[in-house]
Amino acid sequence: MKKILAIFQKETILRFTSPIEWLFFLILPLFFTFVLAGGTAGNMDTRTRLAVVDQANSTLSAQLIAGLEASGSIRPDVKTLAEAEDEFSKRNVSAVLVIPPDFTLEKLREGALALDLRQLPNNLNSLAAYQTVQTILGRLSSSVEIAQQSVQAAEDLRPFENDAERAAYFDAALDAAQTELSVAPQRVATAQALVEDPVEYDPRANSSAGQLITWVFIPLFGISVTFAYERATGTLRRLLTTPTRKATYLLGTLLAAVFWALVQMLLLVLFGIFVMKLNWGHSPAALAVILTASALAASAIGVAMGAFVKTEGQANGLSIMLGMVMALLGGCWYPLELFPAVVQQAVKVLPTRWAMQGMLDIVLRGQDLSAVLPEAAVLLGFAVVFYAIGIWRFRYE
Amino acid sequence: MPAILEVQQLVKKYGDKTAVNGISFDIQAGEIFSLLGPNGAGKTTTISVLSTLYVPTSGDAVIGGHSVVKEPMAVRNLIGVVPQDLALYEDLTARENLSFWGQMYNLSGKALNARVDQVLEQIGLKDRANQRVKTFSGGMKRRVNIGVGLLHQPRLLFMDEPTVGIDPQSRRAILDSVKDLNRQGMTVLYTTHYMEEAQELSDRVGIIDHGDLIALGTQGELTRQVGEYEALQLHISEMDDSEALAQALRGVEGVVRADVIDHNITLITPEAEKILAPVVSRANERGIRIHTVTIQEPNLEAVFLHLTGRALRD
Repeated sequence: MKKILAIFQKETILRFTSPIEWLFFLILPLFFTFVLAGGTAGNMDTRTRLAVVDQANSTLSAQLIAGLEASGSIRPDVKTLAEAEDEFSKRNVSAVLVIPPDFTLEKLREGALALDLRQLPNNLNSLAAYQTVQTILGRLSSSVEIAQQSVQAAEDLRPFENDAERAAYFDAALDAAQTELSVAPQRVATAQALVEDPVEYDPRANSSAGQLITWVFIPLFGISVTFAYERATGTLRRLLTTPTRKATYLLGTLLAAVFWALVQMLLLVLFGIFVMKLNWGHSPAALAVILTASALAASAIGVAMGAFVKTEGQANGLSIMLGMVMALLGGCWYPLELFPAVVQQAVKVLPTRWAMQGMLDIVLRGQDLSAVLPEAAVLLGFAVVFYAIGIWRFRYE
Repeated sequence: MPAILEVQQLVKKYGDKTAVNGISFDIQAGEIFSLLGPNGAGKTTTISVLSTLYVPTSGDAVIGGHSVVKEPMAVRNLIGVVPQDLALYEDLTARENLSFWGQMYNLSGKALNARVDQVLEQIGLKDRANQRVKTFSGGMKRRVNIGVGLLHQPRLLFMDEPTVGIDPQSRRAILDSVKDLNRQGMTVLYTTHYMEEAQELSDRVGIIDHGDLIALGTQGELTRQVGEYEALQLHISEMDDSEALAQALRGVEGVVRADVIDHNITLITPEAEKILAPVVSRANERGIRIHTVTIQEPNLEAVFLHLTGRALRD
């Protein structure tokens, strides 16, 4: 045990000898987590901003804007047409909704309404805006239809004395229908779980989990750099002429790498909790299991790589390249749901995919230990396989 | 005196290539034993097997009563290794390096600190103990490299060509430190391809070539194998054809053999002084000017030359 701790201490000193290590250990991970999340949450409205040009200024347009305002995903920002077009051309907003002057109840009743929604191509936010506008518009149409049917039913029972009485009845029925429909999303929400592969995305949660994996996996793959360095300098060869077993050396080296990876992950999680107001901490057991399993899987790949690389430079380049590619394909930078179905299946061979899903289970979906056990089991499977390869092919020169 | 190391028919092959070909020798406690041979002769492979890094293809070696094949961990407790190339962590200080390696040799606590201080004193780096090794000169790094091998006071120290590629001053310091260590009772197995080092340091010498141990004994015993021959060395101009002159000198009466290395010709002869005049005469006949003439008593170089037909530096 003393030797393992001595190797741990040596690795720690060597790792943090250069001040630049702190750049990669903490500063850059925090910076990228913060930037890619779009800043902190705090009391800020994190909904996607939609520029709205209200050329109708009608009761109906006001109801549409109010409906958008009440949505959980879109924040309407009323602008003039020139302002909205300027922002859109500068890509400051993902979509612009132009409500035409004839956006009135009469037109709605006639079924002749048309809205102008301008969207950036291939943009998730503009897609969300489109869906929200459709939902609100559908709700308005339904309200009008219900009100019209109510007027018809009332007239069948007792004809209205005049148009004013009919219009008043219509308005009352419309109000009642809108009130009822305003609670509709709750009923829809019960059906949402049946929908396959919903795009679950929260920039803050995804950034926190994704950057954590990216910046921790790369140095863990870098265990291969340690092995290459020790082979190049002859220290590994010398070590094995001392009364020290290969297993002791490997354990000490791994202990240092995994320990500092866990510290790094913990700091990034704390940043997520205290600065980005993310819900990382609701199941400490789940968090501990998924972080440890992820660190073990990545370190095992580092050990296996270390058995095959020839030089320190080769190990360095390979660690960074593999880390980046695995992070990208594992959904650490973009939601996996954006990838084609074939790719989504193929990336199941990557530990980053399972680490990301496990972490999103915790921070995005609010699940507990039992939910992350499958991901943890797969990650530990990676660890066993790659440790076995690495130890089997371990060489000291 | 008991043998601390007994090498028995040691063979090490890499595929079809035989690096060490059934060598046997022993080293007595307290002696300096040199393995002398040219580059690629099998010296480092031998040290690697003896220090338990390689498993021999066949044969065995026993160190302090423990087999290098069957009890490698027990052997490692008894030996210290000073590798040919520096094997240090250059980003650690000298003290951190020694402390780390000391722990790998099972030292800890006060005993470790005491030994680190003693070794720093011994290698003359106490005042630089807390500076990173990468800031040291080549010679200072070599001293730390040797210091690591001494930390646990091994019974047998392997030094694998420790003077390769260093300046004469550092080389001198290393040779003196080897003699000091030996005076303090340490047994040393020293490998080199420098005949002078083997002559200066060794109680006994094993000459190794192409994996074979071709001669073994004290310097006196070895030089007697050459007989009463002396070596006459001629240094000629770079402009002149040394091979042609050597060919001509082979015909001089009393010249047993003539070998050429660059612009140096070595003549093996029973009486160097006797052939000096005809040698100079042959050179003059060909218009070749001899810059220097050196007569050497029989030495290890001559032994190697006698046994292999090649110079050590070939």
